[in-house]
Amino acid sequence: MSKLLETNGLTVTFGGLNANDNVDIGIEKGSFVGLIGPNGAGKTTFIDAITGFVPTSAGSVVFDGHDLSDLKPHQRAQLGLVRTFQSLELFEDLSVKDNLLVAAHQTTWYTLALDVFRIQQKSEEIEERIDWALEVAGLKGLEEELPTDLPHGQRKLVGVARALAAQPNLVLLDEPAAGLDTAESNALGGHLRGLLDHDVTVFLIDHDMGLVLSVCDFIYVMDFGKIIASGTPEEIRSNSEVIAAYLGEEAGEVQARSAEELRGMSDTAGE
Amino acid sequence: MLRDKFVILVICITYRGDMELIFGLFAGLASGSVFALLGAGLVIAYRGSGVINFAHGSVAAYAAFTWDELRDMPGETGIGNEGGSIYLPWFDPIPEWGFLKALHINNLPVEIHIMTDPPAWLAMIITLAMSAFIGLLMHFLVFRPLRNSPMLAKVVGSVGIMLYLQAVALLNFGGSNRADDGFWVFNSTSEPIENFLGMDDKNLPRSTPYLALAAILIGALAWALYRYTRFGLATRAADENEKGATLLGYSPQFLAGLNWVISSVLAGLAGVIFLHKTMPNQLNLYVVSALAAALVGGLTSIPGAIVGGLGLGAFASMGVSATSYSWWPEWLPVDGVRAFAPVLVVILVLYFRGHKLPIRGTVGLGRQPRAPATKHPMIGVGVGVFIALLMSNIFISKWESTLTMTLVAILAMLSLVVLLGFLGQISLVQWTLAGVSSFVLIRLASDGLKVRPMDFFVVWGPGLPDPLAALGGVVAAVILGLLIGIPALRIRGVQLAVVTLAAIVAIEDLVMRNRPLMGTAAHTMNPTPKPEWFGQYVGALDEQSNQTDYWKYTVFSIIVVALAGIFVVNLRRGVIGRRFLAIRSNERAAAAAGVNVARTKMLGFGVSSFLAGLAGMLIAYKMPMVTSEFFSPFVGLAMIAFVYLGGITTVWGAVLGGMLVGGGLFSEFGGLHFEGITQAYINAVGGIGLIANAILTSGEGISLTLTNQAKALIATMRGTTPKTDEQEELVVAEEANV
Repeated sequence: MSKLLETNGLTVTFGGLNANDNVDIGIEKGSFVGLIGPNGAGKTTFIDAITGFVPTSAGSVVFDGHDLSDLKPHQRAQLGLVRTFQSLELFEDLSVKDNLLVAAHQTTWYTLALDVFRIQQKSEEIEERIDWALEVAGLKGLEEELPTDLPHGQRKLVGVARALAAQPNLVLLDEPAAGLDTAESNALGGHLRGLLDHDVTVFLIDHDMGLVLSVCDFIYVMDFGKIIASGTPEEIRSNSEVIAAYLGEEAGEVQARSAEELRGMSDTAGE
Repeated sequence: MLRDKFVILVICITYRGDMELIFGLFAGLASGSVFALLGAGLVIAYRGSGVINFAHGSVAAYAAFTWDELRDMPGETGIGNEGGSIYLPWFDPIPEWGFLKALHINNLPVEIHIMTDPPAWLAMIITLAMSAFIGLLMHFLVFRPLRNSPMLAKVVGSVGIMLYLQAVALLNFGGSNRADDGFWVFNSTSEPIENFLGMDDKNLPRSTPYLALAAILIGALAWALYRYTRFGLATRAADENEKGATLLGYSPQFLAGLNWVISSVLAGLAGVIFLHKTMPNQLNLYVVSALAAALVGGLTSIPGAIVGGLGLGAFASMGVSATSYSWWPEWLPVDGVRAFAPVLVVILVLYFRGHKLPIRGTVGLGRQPRAPATKHPMIGVGVGVFIALLMSNIFISKWESTLTMTLVAILAMLSLVVLLGFLGQISLVQWTLAGVSSFVLIRLASDGLKVRPMDFFVVWGPGLPDPLAALGGVVAAVILGLLIGIPALRIRGVQLAVVTLAAIVAIEDLVMRNRPLMGTAAHTMNPTPKPEWFGQYVGALDEQSNQTDYWKYTVFSIIVVALAGIFVVNLRRGVIGRRFLAIRSNERAAAAAGVNVARTKMLGFGVSSFLAGLAGMLIAYKMPMVTSEFFSPFVGLAMIAFVYLGGITTVWGAVLGGMLVGGGLFSEFGGLHFEGITQAYINAVGGIGLIANAILTSGEGISLTLTNQAKALIATMRGTTPKTDEQEELVVAEEANV
């Protein structure tokens, strides 16, 4: 089976730090692949690199047979490689439906003329796709709302719906479940599985181990910019390195917290 | 000794070089010092509050006027002033005209007499106190309320102040130019330094080295203040992280206020010590060069701004010296070179370092003004056209002129609605593009013959027939507009406003007043051709008698503006309009959604410049001649002020703005009832309205605010007030109880 997306030796460097170090992954068409890793592991940087939002210093990204090296973010999106953002990044002063329409329409050089002479460009197909995207994200009935009037969880879902409206072949979801409660998270997981029936391949990045382990077919684990493990959910669950990475993070957090407390105490003592 | 050594060094370095350029370099330090001081003030204000103050030059100008007015000898200028008075930075809101005079309302004090012929040190203290006062007013009335507003609102706020201060200076001090001898070493009458650098024919004004010294000294003091005092440390902390500084117990707003005072005092100082070299009015636009200097300092470094200012002055002056060479191309005029130097610096700095310039960390910015789509434009346009036609039948020539002026303004404002309102690109240059279109049209249409018997000048040209000449003008505006749009691909927000402000000055001197390019008349009175479109005469002057005869021109303008209005409404309702708004909202997200941000932005610049070009065409058809003054920066800023007041995001905002702006229908009707309402009053009120709108309606403007209220009123009358969530919950709870 051919790979839909493939990275070969992808490296992203910030100053002297390798945020992504020689990352090789492959995503097969019609699969549901996950990427997990502790905070600061380089997951979002990896998505940014694939979609062209940060420059790569080495390696290549091949999507659907196209080498993406020289393509700008919007060109990659037009090929069907669509992403969401961890930090929302919605069109805050457009209604939910308009948010989706921006992504759904393709333009040509004469689109302006079509606009000005009011030649209908709304096809059945676009309407249907938007309906479907709203359905998947559970946003039916909120089409005319402004994103800023919605609670945080639903705003996240507007981002997901907007990505789906762009008619993606592969959708990269950057922590879509962050800020959702467990029930919402589970419902989202179910909807996302349903995407596979619509010829959409999914690459899911999340913190929520539960969600990732329950919906993904194949999982990559990243730490310090490197892929440290990959395999089916069962394999990942029992992988000792993965457990160490996650435990290590928790231990680190505890340390950091106690260090801060100590510093706070000495500050007050000093004054 | 040291000075001699330095001179010898310079001579050695340039042994084979040309002394003309070296002299230019030193002569340029004078203007460079004022750029440096103004630039340092801009840096201080930016670090203190995150605002690039476009009104900084106007503060300097107001201080310069104050100084000159204080030192005016009684009876010297003879415009009814005695000297020794200060004028507070506002105007009398209750004029003493007509029936108002009978009411005997106690007016706001404006003029306060201090003493006749005050000594220089006292005048200096008073002037700097006035600058500080203006700084405080700016902080408390404008920038503090706007602290959490979007960037457009802040830019608009400072542009409003610029417009307001310039207009109030005109009202309080009169429009005449002042020539002050200066004082102490900054004196234009003292003996010049002869044989400068051993050049026999070169005399350097004695004040020049003192000016440069003053700039360096004041810059060093300011730098030390921010480097070594607790106040400076706190300011830098708040600049880096406002929230963090608050947690440490500093009030960012108090710091901001103090920084505004320091910045304004520096502006006042610059205005006063440079007054023997220039006229106060010209200081308004020195802000362009000052911005270039501040950008060299990365908007954060005072020494950088000082060096940048001095360097820019020297650079521009060397360029001016170079124009005297025989090899210098004739099509590059002296004024153009002087005006282009800061533009070059601004563009270079922003292009190469734009992404490194600090974006100040404020606590989150408010929402952009809404841009609702108009649902039934044909009804509105129909009603508008009907009213305009009706008026054109009732009105006699003066009012018909007002009507067509309103139409021109509406068209220019539509171009701003597209670019600023929809696409969110803060370009201040669109009105100047209308001017370019006008000038190019005239150049292309003229054939070297006198158009009207009263013309002083004839313009040579290819004599193109009219729709073609107009097309040429519009195309020129679009090309220039696209060129100005190129930096917008790299930079955004307030930085673009800086580039476009610089571009205004450069285009005025480099293109519109360019004799070889635009013909002999370009500097003074540029006679307009007699336009015929497909056999129909569409000009505003009668073909034979050259008297005003508006009938056909009015109809032509109404058609053009109505079509442009429909164009903009449909643009907003279409795919492209939605993409414009998406880019205004979030460029990253737009790119991720597959929008080609670069191309879409260029499309916006092109469309907007096209509309501005059409406005330029209407102006060329309206007047017997055009001058570059008609397209001066302040007229363009007034256009932005009033469309923002009317509503920057809707076509109706442009219509309303066109009626309110000076020369428009509303303001002229106002002038009918209150004689003495001048352009200055209108601009001052416009400046206030602009700021009030930015603060009170978050920039949505009169038209949207009125629409909202009307909708609410209709809803109340029908009794269909939508239930709030709370009420619904109550209802549900009651039902549950039953």
